[in-house]
Amino acid sequence: MTSFEWMRAWAPSVARAVAGAGFAVLFGLSQANALTVDEIANYKGPDRQKVLEGGARKEGKVTIYSGMIVDQALRPMTEAFHKKYPFIDAEFWRGASPQIVQKALAESRAGKMQADVLESTSLAPPLVRAGLAQHFHSPESDSYPKELVDPKGNWASTRLSYFGAAINTNLVKKDEAPKTWNDLLDPKWKGKIAWRVGGGDTGAELFVTNLRLLWGDAKAEDYIKKLAKQDVVGYTSSARQLVNQVMAGEYAIALNIFLHHPLISARKGAPVAPDPMEPIPALNGTVLMAKKAPHPYAAMLLIDFMLSKEGQKTFLAGDYFPANPAIEPSPELRGVVPSVIGMKEQFISPDQVNDLNKKSEEWIKKYFR
Amino acid sequence: MTGQQLGVAAPVRREKRGFAPFGMSPGVIALALVLLALIVPPTIFLIQTSVHETNADGSFGALTFRYFTGLFDNPRLLDNLANNIVYALGSAAVAIAIGTTLAWIVERTNTPMRRWVFLLSIVSLGIPSVLYTVSFLLLLGKAGPINDLLRMAFGAGGPTIDVYSLWGMIAVEGIDFSPLAFLLLSSVFRSNDASFEEASLMSGAGLWKTFKNITLRLATPGILALLILVLIRAFESFEIPALVGRPGRVYVLTTDIYDSIQTQVPPNYGEAGAFSIVLLVIVVAMLMLYNRISRRAERFQTITGKGFRPRVMDLGKWRFATAGALVLLFAILIGLPIAIVLYASFLPYYDGVHLATLPQFTLDNYRHVWAGASFRGSIGNTIILGVMTASIVGPFTALCAWLAVRRVRGGALLDQLATMPLVFPAIVMGVAFLHLFLHLPFPFYGTLASVILASSVRFLPYGMRYSYAGVLQIHKELEEASAMSGARQTTTFLRVVLPLVAPAIVTCWLFVFLVSVKAVAMAILLVGPGSQVVAVTLFDLWDNGQVTELSAMGVSWTALMTTVSVAFYLIARRYGLQVR
Repeated sequence: MTSFEWMRAWAPSVARAVAGAGFAVLFGLSQANALTVDEIANYKGPDRQKVLEGGARKEGKVTIYSGMIVDQALRPMTEAFHKKYPFIDAEFWRGASPQIVQKALAESRAGKMQADVLESTSLAPPLVRAGLAQHFHSPESDSYPKELVDPKGNWASTRLSYFGAAINTNLVKKDEAPKTWNDLLDPKWKGKIAWRVGGGDTGAELFVTNLRLLWGDAKAEDYIKKLAKQDVVGYTSSARQLVNQVMAGEYAIALNIFLHHPLISARKGAPVAPDPMEPIPALNGTVLMAKKAPHPYAAMLLIDFMLSKEGQKTFLAGDYFPANPAIEPSPELRGVVPSVIGMKEQFISPDQVNDLNKKSEEWIKKYFR
Repeated sequence: MTGQQLGVAAPVRREKRGFAPFGMSPGVIALALVLLALIVPPTIFLIQTSVHETNADGSFGALTFRYFTGLFDNPRLLDNLANNIVYALGSAAVAIAIGTTLAWIVERTNTPMRRWVFLLSIVSLGIPSVLYTVSFLLLLGKAGPINDLLRMAFGAGGPTIDVYSLWGMIAVEGIDFSPLAFLLLSSVFRSNDASFEEASLMSGAGLWKTFKNITLRLATPGILALLILVLIRAFESFEIPALVGRPGRVYVLTTDIYDSIQTQVPPNYGEAGAFSIVLLVIVVAMLMLYNRISRRAERFQTITGKGFRPRVMDLGKWRFATAGALVLLFAILIGLPIAIVLYASFLPYYDGVHLATLPQFTLDNYRHVWAGASFRGSIGNTIILGVMTASIVGPFTALCAWLAVRRVRGGALLDQLATMPLVFPAIVMGVAFLHLFLHLPFPFYGTLASVILASSVRFLPYGMRYSYAGVLQIHKELEEASAMSGARQTTTFLRVVLPLVAPAIVTCWLFVFLVSVKAVAMAILLVGPGSQVVAVTLFDLWDNGQVTELSAMGVSWTALMTTVSVAFYLIARRYGLQVR
């Protein structure tokens, strides 16, 4: 390339850089009275909505990394948000929790944070530990039950999940279905039970953690040793896929899957049914704000929206259980909500999952390999 | 006495140049620098990751060698290693057997219907990997149609197939790799001068002897190249051992490594890194061995100054038997997987293959796929990704391969560098590039260009082996004639070598296009909101267990890829490139 061509090629970038620098200086000067991210996230004044909207107008954009299903939940939610605030472009990126954490941490360390809001299950402990969570307060979560909102303000719950077993109705007759944990030890189920291992912490590890919380470690370990004699199959894939396998007759019973999955499939006529056992472990999906979020005003508006009745309604189409107590779960899914079917629920907080799952995982490696 | 009278080939004429450090031409150095720039950062990351702890915020912590010692301390090491070796050799045998048979039938015989194989292997490459694997699991599972048939034939207590076993793993990986083997070997066979085989037949050797002693021997470098690719793949693959092996309690070396990545947040790649470094050493050794074997390149050169036309052999009556073999192989490689995926795509839920489900057939899945914006929005990005990756890898590796085969100073180095990315598990490479791109001083992270760059690096080894096998077949005398007529090296390359190597490059292009758009593990981390690709959209569906929608999207995508490939093939043929 001649030097003229070289200049032509680089001129736009250089011009942009100079313009950007100029604007940055002017912007910096104009922000003499600007709020810090901390203040924005925890603003409690009566003019909160106006302040947030005013700041968001200047930002014009917000980015969320989430684990929700795209076409049924994540996209409709961001579109509804954009409809409410047409001056904010809402962009999303969908990934599993470990990838969300990885991307967010990498961006943060490089000083190039792109995500404003992060939402998924099992997200809070690693992000809080890494110092990435900006503590915030949203008035929308004031009406939530106490355990669903972090007292330190690092996270708030967006959705809930209930776990239990699924059975193939052709292979397991109604009166044979295991109703208690000890029923699973019946020799007739040997080799016919499967659970998820190797990734994510809502499978086998959660099953064990749930029992440890119920009985204490000693009795739980005893039970696990007995369960190991049942040759439980370790399945590596999503919980939904394991339910599909049960439906196809590959396994008779799957442990610790999302209870609403077999319910939905049963409605469509599949030979599967949920088989909850007390206590039903319940986990929450949480939303967090990134500490160096590039658009803090818009981020708070999005968090408000996701916790509000309006936003929570958009999750129903994705077959999620909204955490907002004012929103009823969809009628099709009521059959697995513990309070509705009269079974005891055991809510396991993100910190409990994080602290306890490690040992549960070791037991699984030790006894089930 | 001239060199030629002594039977020694005259050296290619080199131009005088002043600047030649290490005796290497500036061209070779430039290529080597480009390769180093692409490969050194991920390698450094790999090394760092294997000797450092990972902190809570993802940064590197204390120095440690526990990942290396952990590899050897593992009490199950020997068991896992034994399984791995059987798995690797088994799947290599399956893939090479199927690939060779298909390639020979298609390129060297007059079997009817043989041209379809090409199209159908494209189709099978267009099927997303996870879907391909899952389709075999659906077919061969306890509740699948094959076992149903066995139960019908032999009763409930009779033999059944257990796909969750070492045999299952070998079968699935071997079949998965067969289209690749076919494509590479077909381009090698295609350029075989038929006169060698004709001479053999005329001397009285039968078809089988000819095949064994002539055709196979000439294809040895191609087969060895495949062997390297498939063996390394089998050693570093995570998905098939996890999906197929683990439920049957068959563990290989990567099973524990996969766990160590998946079960910690932030994921810890120390074990994966240590393992890759061990593999790296092995690959370097394998390549040196490969180079030594193909050093006597003259033995494999069939494109010579003599006019050659690859002619096919007339099999006579036997061609109907080979046609039958083709149909059987079609069925296994493509027919059955596509059939079951197609079947699943019309169901509201999947629970095995029964006639009773026919009335439930619905187009809902297709409606969701095409109405939702995820699929349509990512098609454009994906096509660009595939086209750019293939267009970078094809010509680049052709050049490097030529330099390596002609044993130009530094050529072997180029070969080694371009093959190194093979040992990186895609996940580790993805993370390495994630960090690299984030630290660049200009916006690059999250763009489609960044995915293209990472993808090109990842598929360099495949392009390299293709091009190497292709260049190997060209006898030096053609270039020597060109040089002696006064042409410079560049002219010789552009006007003599490139046209002869073109069929191999074109096949290479198509192949790289198809595998690069399938690759998931790197794309997951590198794409941003605006650069979504289909492979990740498909994976999201898999992650959420939406099997029927995944099937519908997979079928749609395969149909799209087939259309693109057919268009490409027709265009190539129009310009005289014999893709066949």
